[in-house]
Amino acid sequence: MSHPIETENLRKVYKLGKRKGDRIAVDSLNIAVPEGAVFGFLGPNGAGKTTTIKMLLDFVHPTSGSATIFGNPTSAASSRRLIGYLPEQPYFHKFLRPIEVVSMHASLAGVPRKEVRQHSISALERSGIAEYSDTPIGKLSKGLTQRVGIAQAIVGDPKLLIMDEPTSGLDPIGRRHARDLILQLRDEGRTIFLSSHLLSEVESTCDIIAVLKRGKLVAMGKPDDVQAKGKQVTIQVDTLTDETKASLKFAKVGIEEEAGAIRLCVAPEMLYWVIRMLEKSGAKILRLQTERESLEEAFLRLAA
Amino acid sequence: MAGIWIIAKMSLLENSRKQVFHVMCLLMLAVIAGSTLLTIFTDGVQTKILKDLCMTCLLFGGAAMAIALGATGVPNDIESRTIHPLLARPLTRVQYLIGKFLGTFITVSLGVAAMTVVFGALIMMYQHSIDSSLGLAVLFTLLEAAIIAAVAITISTFASPAITTVLTFMIYLAGTIKIGYIGELIEKSQAGLSKGLYLLIYHALPNLECFNLKSALVHQEIIPGLYLSQVAVYGICYIAFTLVVGASYFASREV
Repeated sequence: MSHPIETENLRKVYKLGKRKGDRIAVDSLNIAVPEGAVFGFLGPNGAGKTTTIKMLLDFVHPTSGSATIFGNPTSAASSRRLIGYLPEQPYFHKFLRPIEVVSMHASLAGVPRKEVRQHSISALERSGIAEYSDTPIGKLSKGLTQRVGIAQAIVGDPKLLIMDEPTSGLDPIGRRHARDLILQLRDEGRTIFLSSHLLSEVESTCDIIAVLKRGKLVAMGKPDDVQAKGKQVTIQVDTLTDETKASLKFAKVGIEEEAGAIRLCVAPEMLYWVIRMLEKSGAKILRLQTERESLEEAFLRLAA
Repeated sequence: MAGIWIIAKMSLLENSRKQVFHVMCLLMLAVIAGSTLLTIFTDGVQTKILKDLCMTCLLFGGAAMAIALGATGVPNDIESRTIHPLLARPLTRVQYLIGKFLGTFITVSLGVAAMTVVFGALIMMYQHSIDSSLGLAVLFTLLEAAIIAAVAITISTFASPAITTVLTFMIYLAGTIKIGYIGELIEKSQAGLSKGLYLLIYHALPNLECFNLKSALVHQEIIPGLYLSQVAVYGICYIAFTLVVGASYFASREV
C-alpha cells in the first residue's frame, strides 16, 4: 500500500546566478510517512523543510528525484485531493471573512455544495474561531488568522494534513488547543506531516521524527530512537566520606551537593564501580535515575 | 470547472471590496453625471456630446479597472502567499488563472453596468428613448475590457504589478491609437524584415479600435451584423490565445 508521503532521492538546487553559484536546498531526501502517524519534520532555519513541503505541493519543482502523495506524483493536481495544507504564517485576502475563506476551501476540496456551510462552520468551531467567522480577516490578530489557517486546512476531511509551524503566533491556550486538535485528528485516522521549531510540541505530538540538516536527512525514527539513551545515571546518596569523595573525584564522577542532598552524575560504564565503592563506604543509595537525552539535546547534537 | 468558478467568485469578492475599484467607479459616475452640465449646446448637440463623453468614460473606465485589477491579482497572491493554500487543493494553475480572469472580468462588468445605468438614465432624460445600439456598444466595451484584463493577467504571471500596469497601459494605448498607424506602415513598407516586423506587431497587438462603437451610437448608425460577429470572434480568440500564453508560462513557474 502506498504511503501518504514518499520521497525518493528528492533534490532541489536553487541557481543563484554566476557569482553566487548554486545552493542545494534539499539533497537526496528519502522519507516515507506511514498512514495515521504524526510525522515531525525538524531542522534549523534553512535546512530545507519548507522547500520540501513546497515540492510536495508542487509549488516548486524538484531538480531530481521524485515524491508521491498516496502513490500519485506530486505534479498531478489529483494528488492534492486528500491534502489539507497550513502554510507558515498563513495569509488570506484581507477583505474576505473566515467563513468565506473556509467555505471556498471546502468547495475546492470537493465538499458537496449543500454541505459546504455546515462543514465550514464545523471546521471554524474546531479551530476555535467560530465567533469571528464574519469578521474581515484584515481585522483579525496574527493568532486568530493562524486559527483561520487551521480551519481551512482541516475542512473537507483531508486524509493528510501538511502543517508548517501550526502553532506560530498562537498564545499558550491556542498552542494547547492546536496540539490537542492535532492529536484528535491523528486519532481520527489522519496523517499529519508537521514542520516545527517548537521541540516540546514535537515531543508531545509526534510518533515519528525526521531531522534535516543542510538539506540532508540526518536522523529519522521514533523520538525514543532518535534521542540517545543512557546518557548518564544520577545517584542520590545520604552521605559521603571524604575518602570516597576524593576517589570519586579522581574517577571524574560529578558530585553535586545542594541543600543537604548529594547527587552523583555517573557515566553508564562507571556505574558498577561507583555502586561497589558506595557500598564499601557505607553510603546509602536513596535514588538512582537514568538521565535521557532530551529532544532539544538530540536536535542540537544532530542539527547544530 | 468548479475550481474556476470558485476562484472567480473569490476574486470577485476580493476585487469588489478594493478601494481602487470603488474610487474608479465613483470617479467615472461623477464624470458621467457631470456631463449634464454641458448646457451651452443646443438639445441635439448636447445629447450627442453626452453620449460621446459617457461612452468615452465607459471605454476608459472599463479599461482602467481591467488594468488596475488584472495587474495586481496574481502578483499580490504570490507575494502575500495567499496562492499557496489555493494551489494546495486539487486546482490546476490553468484553472486558477482562468478563475482570476473571470473574477476580474465580472468585477469590471459590475462597474461598467453601474455606469451604464446612469448613462441610460441620462439618455432617457434628454432623448426620452434608449438607442438600440447602446446595449451593443456596452457589450463591445466589455469585450475590450476583457481583452485588456487577459493581457494584464498574462503579463502579471511574470512581471510585478507596476511593470504589468505600465506594459498593459502601453498595449492599450498602442491597440487603441497606434494600430491604424502601424497598418499604414505595413502598406508603405516594402517586403522584407521591416514589413515582417510591422506585421508581427500589428497582429500581436490587440486591435481595440474595432470594439469602439461610440461613433455608431452618437450618430445612430447601423452596424452590419457580420462585422459585429467578426469582431466578437476576434475578441474571444484574442482572449483565449492570451490566456493560453499566460497559463503555459504560469504552469511551469515556481511560486
